[in-house]
Amino acid sequence: MATKNAEAIAAANKKYEWGFATDIEQDFAPKGLSEDTVRYISAKKGEPEWMLDWRLKAYRMWLELEAPDWAKLNVPPIDYQDAYYYAEPKVKPTLASLDELDPEIRRTYEKLGIPIEEQKVLAGVEGARKVAVDAVFDSVSVATTFRKELEAAGVIFRSISEAIREYPDLVRRWLGKVVPQRDNYFATLNSAVFSDGTFVYIPEGVRCPMELSTYFRINAENTGQFERTLIVADKGSYVSYLEGCTAPMRDENQLHAAVVELVALDDAEIKYSTVQNWYPGDENGLGGIYNFVTKRALCQGRNSKVSWTQVETGSAVTWKYPSCVLAGDGSVGEFYSVAVTNNLQQADTGTKMIHLGKNTRSTIVSKGISAGRSDNTYRGLVRVAPTAESVRNFTQCDSLLLGDQCGAHTVPYIEVRNPTATIEHEATTSKISDDQMFYATQRGLDQEAAVALIVNGFAREVLQQLPMEFAVEAQKLLGISLEGSVG
Amino acid sequence: MLEINNLHAEVDGKPILNGLSLSVNAGEVHAIMGPNGAGKSTLAYVLGGRPGYDVTGGSVTLDGADLLEMEPHERAAAGLFLGFQYPVEIPGVSNVQFLREAANAQRAARGEPALSGADFLRLAKAQAEGLSMSMDMMKRPVNVGFSGGEKKRAEMVQMGILDPKLAILDETDSGLDIDALRIVGDGIERIMRKPDRAVILITHYQRLLDHVRPDQVHILSAGRIVRSGGPELAHALEREGYAALGLEDARS
Amino acid sequence: MTLTLPSAREEAWRWTDLSGLPAIVAAVPDAGRDALALAAMPAAIASERTDTRLLFVDGVLHSSSTPGRVRLSAVDARTDHALGRHATADGWTLDLAPGQIANVEVVHVATGAASHVPAHVILAPDAVASVTETFVGDGWTNRFFRAELGKGARLMRAVRLLHASGFQSLRDEALLGEGASLVATVLGAGEGSSRVDALVTIAGEQAFAEYGGAMLARGEQRHEAAAVVRHAAPHGQSHQSWRAVADDRAVASLAARVEVARHAQKTDGIQSLKGLLLKRTATVNIKPELEIFADDVKCAHGATVGELDRQSLFYLASRGVDPARARAILTRAFVADALDRIGEEAVRDAFVADADRWLDA
Repeated sequence: MATKNAEAIAAANKKYEWGFATDIEQDFAPKGLSEDTVRYISAKKGEPEWMLDWRLKAYRMWLELEAPDWAKLNVPPIDYQDAYYYAEPKVKPTLASLDELDPEIRRTYEKLGIPIEEQKVLAGVEGARKVAVDAVFDSVSVATTFRKELEAAGVIFRSISEAIREYPDLVRRWLGKVVPQRDNYFATLNSAVFSDGTFVYIPEGVRCPMELSTYFRINAENTGQFERTLIVADKGSYVSYLEGCTAPMRDENQLHAAVVELVALDDAEIKYSTVQNWYPGDENGLGGIYNFVTKRALCQGRNSKVSWTQVETGSAVTWKYPSCVLAGDGSVGEFYSVAVTNNLQQADTGTKMIHLGKNTRSTIVSKGISAGRSDNTYRGLVRVAPTAESVRNFTQCDSLLLGDQCGAHTVPYIEVRNPTATIEHEATTSKISDDQMFYATQRGLDQEAAVALIVNGFAREVLQQLPMEFAVEAQKLLGISLEGSVG
Repeated sequence: MLEINNLHAEVDGKPILNGLSLSVNAGEVHAIMGPNGAGKSTLAYVLGGRPGYDVTGGSVTLDGADLLEMEPHERAAAGLFLGFQYPVEIPGVSNVQFLREAANAQRAARGEPALSGADFLRLAKAQAEGLSMSMDMMKRPVNVGFSGGEKKRAEMVQMGILDPKLAILDETDSGLDIDALRIVGDGIERIMRKPDRAVILITHYQRLLDHVRPDQVHILSAGRIVRSGGPELAHALEREGYAALGLEDARS
Repeated sequence: MTLTLPSAREEAWRWTDLSGLPAIVAAVPDAGRDALALAAMPAAIASERTDTRLLFVDGVLHSSSTPGRVRLSAVDARTDHALGRHATADGWTLDLAPGQIANVEVVHVATGAASHVPAHVILAPDAVASVTETFVGDGWTNRFFRAELGKGARLMRAVRLLHASGFQSLRDEALLGEGASLVATVLGAGEGSSRVDALVTIAGEQAFAEYGGAMLARGEQRHEAAAVVRHAAPHGQSHQSWRAVADDRAVASLAARVEVARHAQKTDGIQSLKGLLLKRTATVNIKPELEIFADDVKCAHGATVGELDRQSLFYLASRGVDPARARAILTRAFVADALDRIGEEAVRDAFVADADRWLDA
């Protein structure tokens, strides 16, 4: 079995199904990063003065910061002057629906498999779940669907550029409050040059009538994508937000440095789900996305709740820690993660649960799957402040290794400054046993189907947190990501 | 249906099967008995194609096709079902999900259309009922948290759903109390006692054979069949023990 | 000596406060050190089996020592460790031939200054050594301890940190050959702060390592244990079991890591880290880390942090035990299993008594 595995690993040559570049004209900012680039982006978007000032302040901070050292990651230095910071499709649509979208982009989406539910919805299929889509194609948000129905509910769902123009007070009040401009190297860079993203506001007491969804896609060569997402859930509101990411195949590494800020006020709940399958590079580690993302939620209100669920299968390098600052008494933070690495991928992901309020609770379930010659690290922090009475945290970190050329690492920090806390952490490392493989193949599954099935079982606790249609996608994705990893 | 001719096999370089020959016709139930270490489980694993069980000589055909050339999943699709002595746990994967994927993979390999979700559930429900298993249990992960007896019953439900030509049941009676033994025995009779089906029961004891009456009984010792006969052979064995037949536990 | 110390900005040192060390380095040893040394003698366990007794006062061997098999001179061992590398003075070496047995007890007395002493234990195949070390006094005692265990060799190591003030740093490095066994237990039950660093390398097949202990911190103390077991050969077993107790404004930190190299298949590595907070001003930090490069391994860790179980406290109260006593009983139980692994009864009893003294104070 071991030699068979080795052969299969050597033969691993997964094809990135989403690897195609769309041929549409793009409008680029001048290559490289300077104050002028920042001004260009801001002017392109017709931003008010305060927004430009905010960007410039971040840019100046960024110049003083040093790139982080890479814990478990092996990343060559990035030349920030050798990239475009803004790419905009020439045909700039402001669309009521995806139907009006440039057919080329539309085809891209179809190839991506995006339209799953949306297409049904758009076609008026009976009983189809409603999902409103805001698609970010490279840097510009091209469409939001269902705007009217959302507006009737009082929900604001806009590209962040539009929101800055249309709801300046709301945006200004919360932008950078959860992830300050100076937070970290990549967040600061994002604050200076973010090109587009999504803004969501759910008013008091409103349960968002549909799931909100954004698809990010990196298309142009050498463009960094710096999207910015801000979601504010006012008192007693609820929203479920889905984020899917893909990128075409390119030989050069592309930088992706997003910032996501979530704010939950009293009794509000935000469920944020991500399926990330940016191009991971080929089997020799050539190309692929550098995914350096800052995602953080502020559970400011009493009994507020934020739940992060992520399925990470793509990117050459992932550096991502969706976190919760549990400030409101009784607030709840959750982090459910599946991270798959194959070939030469590197993933360093996890969460920080910062307990500040009384009776705050957090749950962390991380499932890392390593294959090929990849490295997969869970890195996390659970911190209990002296003010935080009766905190509870439960953490489960499980690693599954496929083959003997990969690595699985667990680096959890637990810092407790209040004796009433109850903190429990468990971790296991395992492989797919020969017994399991033989049992499943004896029942008629071939090796790949057996691996996919067992891996899905391993990740089940996380997958079941996803909205139904996302879960189905994610299950398929796990199988595809691991193709050729066990034979 | 199954022709085993002069089969030699080894595990970790150690010969276990030493020239085993056996012929099983459609419609027959064969029992293979023998002392510990005789090679009973090895025979089951070799027929199933388990990696690490290396055939060093001889041939095996199933309905004329060379079984030894096939991958384990291809043997399953060809109609071979192995009932495991120690059924394996697969956390997070429900019995329903597992069996639906397995059944459809086999059907695809045979060029048959896939079962729809509804058709599959109907089939699963009928088979589970036949073995006094609830659908709740069918929705639980494969063998996880099941008692020894539940695991064996679950194996028989799997057999009913996958509907094989030939079932090789390795110590399916171990760990069963009297009631469970009857349920499992009735299940084997109901599912497999058909003119185009065959069963090989591998067992240490007579008791399962009270429920599933074998057409032939074989005694395996030191990797080959040393005696064959009718059901009376099993009774003699039960009465007098292996020692009386001049057979010792290879392990003792 | 120019002193370069790691900063809290470095990931491995983020919970450590070394800011007090330069002042100790500048301090002059106490003039009456001989009297202090004699006063420290009761700290020795003086088990009947002990054949080698060493008393170091500010890093200098005292005349009352009975060196037995130990050689006192320059030590042939170096480390890159940020603190351990300062221990370059003369130290002690125990070099056992195949099958030889030695029982060594070392007492270190500090009188307010800094001292750096290296030690080197070399065990030939099937040699067996027990090394018990006790640290008392004030100042900064910095020690580097290196052990090499040949095939089938066994080393039992027990360390008590009982200093009254100052800082105690200990760097242990052990290399285990085929089938070798190391059982090391550290107890921090003094009033000074400490940092215990260990790197145990399983270099031979089927070697066994236990590294753990209990760190009890109160007042303004900061204790930290940072242990790494590196599995570099197949079929190794390791068990890291640590308990941290923090009272008052103290900080007790445990960082334990299991590393499994690519070819170290069939490794079985277990970690159990538990923290207990006795006051709301105290801090417990825990980092149970796994770094796995082999697929056929069994590595698991469990970590918990919390306070004493309220139901148990109430249960004891209902049986007439006063609250302070009940807390002491339950805290003792919490600590006990980390000390249970000390093999020699006299040593174990002494460690348990020290833990009790700390708990009863």
